[in-house]
Amino acid sequence: MSEKKNSSGFGATLKRWFLRLWKGGNALNDELNQKDNMNVEDIVSPMQQVLRNFFDRKMAVIALVVLIAMFLAVFIGPLFMPKYYDAYTEVTQKSIEPNMSMMSVPKELENDVKMIDSYGSFSVGLSNAGKVYVWGSTKIGTTGVDMANIPEDVLNSNIVMVAAGIDHAIAIDDQGKIHAWGNNRLGQFSVLKEGETPNPNIAYMPQELAENGVDVNNVKKLTCGYQCSAILMNDGSFYLWGNKLAYANIDLFLNAGTMYDMDFTLNYIVGINGKCTSIFTGSRGLYDAVRTQVGSKAVKLKDYLDGRKIESITAANNTMCLLLDDGSVCFAGDFAGNMTPVPTLPADEDFVQIVAGSYHYSGLTNKGNIYSWGGNTLDQTEVPKNYEGATKLYSGAFQTYAVNDNDEIVAKWGLKGYIFGTDTAGANIFQRIINGGKMTMTIGAVAVIISSVIGIIIGCISGYFGGKVDILLMRVAEIFNAIPFLPFAMILSAVMGRMTLSEDMRIFIIMCILGVLTWPGLARLVRGQVLVARESEYVTAAKALGVKEYAIAFKHILPNVMSVILVNLVLNFGTCMLTESSLSYLGFGVAYPRPTWGNMLNGANNETIINAYWWQWFFTATFLAITCICINIVGDNLRDAMDPKSNSSR
Amino acid sequence: MGKYVIKRIAYMLVVLVILSVIMYLIYGLVPSNRAYTDATNEIKALKSVIPKDQIDKKFDELYLQYQRRYGTDTDNKLIRYLRWVGVYPLYDGSYNGLLQGNFGYSYDAQKPVVEVVKDPMINTIKINIWATILGLGITIPLGIICAVKRGNKFDNTVQVLTILGYSLPTFVISILFIWLFCSKLGWFPPSGMKTPGSSYVGMKKFLDELYYMALPLIVMTFSSLGGMTRYVRASMIDALSMDCIRTARAKGLREKTVIYSHAFRNALIPIVSLVVGWFLGIFGGSLVIESMFAYNGMGKLMIQSLRTADYDVVLLMQMFYVAISLLGNLIIDIVYGMVDPRVRVNN
Repeated sequence: MSEKKNSSGFGATLKRWFLRLWKGGNALNDELNQKDNMNVEDIVSPMQQVLRNFFDRKMAVIALVVLIAMFLAVFIGPLFMPKYYDAYTEVTQKSIEPNMSMMSVPKELENDVKMIDSYGSFSVGLSNAGKVYVWGSTKIGTTGVDMANIPEDVLNSNIVMVAAGIDHAIAIDDQGKIHAWGNNRLGQFSVLKEGETPNPNIAYMPQELAENGVDVNNVKKLTCGYQCSAILMNDGSFYLWGNKLAYANIDLFLNAGTMYDMDFTLNYIVGINGKCTSIFTGSRGLYDAVRTQVGSKAVKLKDYLDGRKIESITAANNTMCLLLDDGSVCFAGDFAGNMTPVPTLPADEDFVQIVAGSYHYSGLTNKGNIYSWGGNTLDQTEVPKNYEGATKLYSGAFQTYAVNDNDEIVAKWGLKGYIFGTDTAGANIFQRIINGGKMTMTIGAVAVIISSVIGIIIGCISGYFGGKVDILLMRVAEIFNAIPFLPFAMILSAVMGRMTLSEDMRIFIIMCILGVLTWPGLARLVRGQVLVARESEYVTAAKALGVKEYAIAFKHILPNVMSVILVNLVLNFGTCMLTESSLSYLGFGVAYPRPTWGNMLNGANNETIINAYWWQWFFTATFLAITCICINIVGDNLRDAMDPKSNSSR
Repeated sequence: MGKYVIKRIAYMLVVLVILSVIMYLIYGLVPSNRAYTDATNEIKALKSVIPKDQIDKKFDELYLQYQRRYGTDTDNKLIRYLRWVGVYPLYDGSYNGLLQGNFGYSYDAQKPVVEVVKDPMINTIKINIWATILGLGITIPLGIICAVKRGNKFDNTVQVLTILGYSLPTFVISILFIWLFCSKLGWFPPSGMKTPGSSYVGMKKFLDELYYMALPLIVMTFSSLGGMTRYVRASMIDALSMDCIRTARAKGLREKTVIYSHAFRNALIPIVSLVVGWFLGIFGGSLVIESMFAYNGMGKLMIQSLRTADYDVVLLMQMFYVAISLLGNLIIDIVYGMVDPRVRVNN
């Protein structure tokens, strides 16, 4: 044998193992004289036979293909999601059902846009003909409210203005009458009825507004916030109503007198005072510093203005943009780190219109150029190349629509929707499934590797040397076998939870626990195989040649029991994945915000959620189920393919 | 035989002791100090009674007193362990451990652990007996039919279904069934153990309990169906390929007699061990199913105790599980020897 010559190092040994595994005795022949191979009858090695058997089974092949696809998806997929991060939450996008229609403006509206507005998951649009359209994800949580059910009187009236909040919408018709629809449980548009005790958390819609409406020609702006709405008149007076818990400074505003302009951030109502020199929020000094660039240093608003006046204010969720009377812009509020910066305009170019979504701003210049900046997590600032003729911008929460002089939409960009919906934190479930799958599979794989290494070593030693070593090791295996798995793993992980460990460390320990607790099965299997192999002729031959004991055990016998180990590896991988999922599902494995397929199903533990938010479990469960089923099918078929008995009987 | 059993029991005890040490050490990793908590609580109650300058002194006194009572007045882990088992005296010379019947005290329920465990145990046994009856009643006939009609359409369908049964994690099956049977069809209640506010007696109570038990039972049965059916089928196929079956057919016995009288008996041998294992399993509740359906059993108690860090309960339950599983192994081996005369247990 050429054993001695090329057995230098671990790599060479591994290579020889695999050669023997796949080619059997032919491996040597191939190396020695490949030309003579033509004359030799095609000898099929056991492994080749196994492969042939395996690929004869249709189901096994399908399962293998699906499994490989799944692997590729979860390990390569995350590379295509550079904007994804685990702790992402978005309060306005909670529990949105799967749909891709958030940007699909109805056909009739597309060429006749008067207004578009949105705050959360749905958008409202108004055509020049005075007709209201609603699109996007229109079902509001478990309330049973569907925004797409526009009330009859709205459809029958000639609407001139419309605005959308997170779960309600307000419209004004040409008679000045106010129409409202959507969720009204938190006082989004309640009118205080006579004899009713007022709810301290609700700012009621003014009585005279509900009854008499407004002077529609004098309305400057209709705007909606989270669960609030405001109508600003040309003379600076305004109406303001909604849920006080959403906007704590409602009362301060109601006492404030007149405003030049106003808008809603996520938590504050912001306004510009009559003199157009400062931002009014009700609390002193909240937004009295501005910056000219997304990340730059803030300067005092008063110093920055230097005599200029604020023309308009547009507010995103945490920030706002001020457009000054000389065409320059500045920003107030807190900007997160990963924002697209504001473009630097050439000297003769100025912004004429700025619109704000939840995190992004889009601006139109006097030369007809459009720029988007701010938050780009949901592709809000990816302005398309072609927007010729755009003269007006409308902004949804995460979308921007560019409209030309004929009121036709020429370009739209931003969030289309979520293919698998969003979870209770507002994160994209599809992205979490892909990234969670990576975690789940990594844990499964590492656990299997740990358990296999222990199992193979102990099985080999125990089977080959026998005697006292065997007895001792098998007793140890039995002890490990007697530990009820899931409870024990839970205790360990609960104990770990009480200690201060980093999340990475915790996950690694979970892998180790899974690995260390699952080796006895494999160890026994290997031991049994080794016991049989020990008595075979080639071992006797090796002994006669004077090969060392450990070399016989690991170099001669082990490769021959490889096939059994391989099957076990596949099936064990499935088991470890399942166990990790169960652990995480019960809350004792990987913790939120890190996704795994187990803890993503964590929320689906009662009937209401299972029924109302079906997408929050369905897709994750499907991915998990398909992967596990495929692993089991592949493992089972591999085992059948290796079993010489099952060949003869078929 | 007797000698073998004694040897096995002795060995079992050794394993139990080793495992109890491991468990105790793991449990010891939890940063909890019962004596300290108790002393703090008592000192709070006494604050108004004793003068301020003596509070510290009184606290130390109480702390020491509690430590001595619970046997934690030493840092030596071995002594603590021995005291917990009940073979090493406490400070006052008395013994108070597992062997004396002190199984610990549940902090969450303010009751001795045994009382806490009693009700869930009864519930778990109740549901598991049903699950076992259902499971065996379905899987054994199904497995036999599949083995006899191997390769035909029925067998293939069942094979696919069983793969589903044992590949899907229990919680996915539970979610799926809750969605299907509660939300869409409205056949069963999604959780609970009896109609809220009801106080039925007799037959009505029994039926009501059964009604609430139905869905977890279905999930349990479904998830155990897969593995078990495959097992029965495999062992039946082995039995059918034996020479004695060919002989039986050759001598002209009816096919039914061949299958049920000759083949099934041989197939029973590996099945028996599984059945025994199952019966022992009825004491341990399913963690996932019970917590999912809010069924007050052992599994739910375990999770609840882990969440509230009620480790005395957890420790005892874990020891109980270990003991049951060791006992199970022993009984399986003995029964195996009794069923199959070829297996000599004394070897």
